[in-house]
Amino acid sequence: VRLRAAALAAWLIGAAAPVLAHDVAPLPALDYEPPAPGTYTLHRIMAAPDGEVLDLDGRPQRLRTFTRERITLLGFVYTTCVDPDGCPLAYRVFDALRHAVGDRPGLRDKVRLVTLSFDPERDTPAAMRAYAGTRTTERGLGVPWHFLTTRSSRALAPLLEGFGQDVRSPRGLSNARSRSELSHVLKVFLIDRDGFVREVYSSTFLHPRTVLNDIETLVMNP
Amino acid sequence: MTAHCVQRSIAVAACLLAWVLFVGTAAADETCNSPYIAKLIKGQEDYVYVWTLGVEGVGDGSDKLVTIDVHPKSKTYGKVLGSVSVGTRGEAHHMGFTDDRRFIWAGGLAEPKIYVFDIATDPARPRLVKTIGDMADKTGYLGPHTYYALPGRMLVQALSNTRDKGGVTGMALYNSKGEFIAAYPMPTEGGGDGYGYDLAVNPKKNILLTSSFTGYTNYMRPLGELVKDPEAMKKFGNTMVAWDLKAMKPTKVFSVPGAPLEIRWSLNPADNWAITAAALTSKLWLVKQDQGVWQAKEVGTIGDPAKIPLPVDISITRDGKGLWVNTFMDGTTRYFDLSNPEAPRQTYEKVTGKQINMISQSWDGTRLYITSSLLANWDKGGADNEQFLRAFAWDGKELKPAFEVDFAKERLGRAHHMKLGSRALKSP
Repeated sequence: VRLRAAALAAWLIGAAAPVLAHDVAPLPALDYEPPAPGTYTLHRIMAAPDGEVLDLDGRPQRLRTFTRERITLLGFVYTTCVDPDGCPLAYRVFDALRHAVGDRPGLRDKVRLVTLSFDPERDTPAAMRAYAGTRTTERGLGVPWHFLTTRSSRALAPLLEGFGQDVRSPRGLSNARSRSELSHVLKVFLIDRDGFVREVYSSTFLHPRTVLNDIETLVMNP
Repeated sequence: MTAHCVQRSIAVAACLLAWVLFVGTAAADETCNSPYIAKLIKGQEDYVYVWTLGVEGVGDGSDKLVTIDVHPKSKTYGKVLGSVSVGTRGEAHHMGFTDDRRFIWAGGLAEPKIYVFDIATDPARPRLVKTIGDMADKTGYLGPHTYYALPGRMLVQALSNTRDKGGVTGMALYNSKGEFIAAYPMPTEGGGDGYGYDLAVNPKKNILLTSSFTGYTNYMRPLGELVKDPEAMKKFGNTMVAWDLKAMKPTKVFSVPGAPLEIRWSLNPADNWAITAAALTSKLWLVKQDQGVWQAKEVGTIGDPAKIPLPVDISITRDGKGLWVNTFMDGTTRYFDLSNPEAPRQTYEKVTGKQINMISQSWDGTRLYITSSLLANWDKGGADNEQFLRAFAWDGKELKPAFEVDFAKERLGRAHHMKLGSRALKSP
């Protein structure tokens, strides 16, 4: 486990592939040794909700298409988010995991990444395509990364409610930086093959090592 | 250690009386929320929500969530805006925000129920939207106490159990919708006494700390009876437990005699230590790593322990450099300089009531709120039974009264736990 962790940490320090929307700066190392995969239980927290989403071509799809059959890491973002502890952090972690999972033949065909916008007004399929950059077309790593949005706030609402993802306009919140900033608690959801959320990460607990351990735990103990 | 402490206390009559009067309280304020709650109010708060114990013959007699306007520029500054009754009297005690700060979970120590209030739709007018009633069936635990938000979940520390109503208990994990997920019993081996009280998380270190108090048979018992029962007096917690947060498994039990209650991690990003106050021994304890190993050690004294001042709530400043301590018996609010957490130093004190319990501070530390009630059967009697919320301004040198709400005069009940609210957090 330590060797694997060290290898991942080394990779994280070295990996700096450019993306269109966010730089992939090295992530800080964990300040603790996480429990080994399979030594703990990830309980079923809740069922992942379903609803209509739009893919990068603007085609309507059911979200459940992207939350079943594989272990799914799903995060809500909006493409103009600049909070370093928000969407950009999720992007960096997803990118790191794409490589870490892709390097493992036993995992790469069991995992997918999903980035879903909670700003349908600005994050059109075209905007999401620009945000994704080359992430959806790089097949070499073998880990699918889907970038999705929704047709409208009405279509988005049940997904936000189902996941418990709060979003609100700033309206005087002290930490709001601009009028375009949406206030939200960063949440990333680990979903098992049957569509149950098994872990929820906020910015203070979202790190490639912990997520990778959790993915391996789900593979060992579905 | 418990028996030793209790025997020593019993040997001194005054000490004994005071011991009985101590009790628990819990987390409050803006600097003491779960680190998973992102929407901290860093400016002027608009409301203080007070979870209030019902008193028979006072108002409807039921527990209620009281909303007070605390914005100095408001026309109703210092006034009660309203209250939401839960329709029963169950020893209302503590509450906590969900991770998105849209809801407050609150409960009573006399029942296994949890009340969920919507504070987002209209922050000035909370609504009771759900009652979670399955904790006893799912876990056997009784008396939900601390509500600590984890991402998408709420970790609830109970104080007792339904089997014998003693102090052996555990934590119940729910998702944020109020659906039960798992139970985690407090350790009874490796030095653990199985008791619970508060919990607090340091995500950077993957550590959860818990403290210990006592069970239903003690905290619901009239004081006069309890002090005459030496065996019952031995049944108080003397431990803290470090848990692997990710695995939710206990990793170490610390001996912390005298009922360690509230736990506060320093919010300074450079710090990785927590502090607590042991109610019965009137000592401050520091939990930090020593050469990579978590340790708990006594670092300070609160007042004169021989007089049993009973520290019942603490509030840490946002920079981790200061700590407010409320002691119930002498009604005194003390400030400790925590510049060196290994050696806290008291620099200020003021009597703020005839009996005081909870203390909450604004993010910038310039506004403090204090309430009066400890437990229904442990509050003082007669003229000493003041029930209030008192607001103070703190300029770094002196606590100056700002306003007061008399909960007896307003026919509300016993004022206990507080949480701050803001109209800016309104959400559809």
